[in-house]
Amino acid sequence: MTEPFEHLIRSTLTDLAEEAPIVHDQLSRAERRVRNRRRVTVTVGAVSTLAAILIATPLALAATGSDEPPPAVPSPAGPAAVPSPPVPTPSAPTTVPTVVPSPGGAPGDPSITPGPPGVPGRPTVSPTPSTPPGPPGVPGRPTASPSPSR
Amino acid sequence: MDEDERARLAEFVGSRTPALMRVAYLLTGDRNAAEDLFQSALARTIPKWGTIRHADPEGYLRVVMYREQISWWRRLRRWRETPLNPADEPVGGDPSGGTDVRLAMRAALRHLPPAQRAVVVLRYYEDLPEARVAELLGCSVGTVRSRTHRAVKRLRDLLPDVDRLEVRR
Repeated sequence: MTEPFEHLIRSTLTDLAEEAPIVHDQLSRAERRVRNRRRVTVTVGAVSTLAAILIATPLALAATGSDEPPPAVPSPAGPAAVPSPPVPTPSAPTTVPTVVPSPGGAPGDPSITPGPPGVPGRPTVSPTPSTPPGPPGVPGRPTASPSPSR
Repeated sequence: MDEDERARLAEFVGSRTPALMRVAYLLTGDRNAAEDLFQSALARTIPKWGTIRHADPEGYLRVVMYREQISWWRRLRRWRETPLNPADEPVGGDPSGGTDVRLAMRAALRHLPPAQRAVVVLRYYEDLPEARVAELLGCSVGTVRSRTHRAVKRLRDLLPDVDRLEVRR
């Protein structure tokens, strides 16, 4: 059944092909089409670019000309942040002498006598910043703070 | 394009136009549409002539024509009903050589969608194998088979009396 039907399709197509129109000068028409298509492509591209510019320019101007202050910009004249050199630390550990006065003792007598400053190898008691430094060679008096609970 | 290449192009177009117009006419089923399809395919081929003239320009032009015929954009632009000529209308029984069957088949071919019609032309007029048809149309072999099956089934549906007419032949 398929075989005669396919034969019918073939013969019909062959008959139909014989009725194809006879045309002339197709090349010049096709070249004219090519030129028109190229012209249309260029025109559409130019119009699209122009439209994009006309739309984007007012938006860009509106975005930059608003009343809000402009975003902060770091001033170029400011000093650059330079890392500070490391502060030399004293070789001896800084300990604040806490003197607990005995109940019967005089409040001004220090029970601990600090050694002479500048002696290497011995732990030195550095005075607190509030205590003015004494004269060279004379250690400052340590401050004795009484304990409030006693 | 220089004069030499243009002369070769003109010679190619002049020599191959009748055969290509036959295919275009079979693909479209309309004289004006066939001419439009051929010109459109030629317009796409001309810019590539410098690179394809040494290879297979006719094959390139045919592929452009087949794909242009089934392209979605072209279908959208060409959306109109193809009028039937009075000679294409199905007629009654004609015992003289099965002319009525062929006229009925011709009318039925006009009702095929472009994709199915292209497959029918390539398979039954150009006698190309399924793999080659799939390569030309840019689809799979399974798609070619399914389109062929649907096209033949639709032709059978459009020609319900073909069995009776074939028996009478």
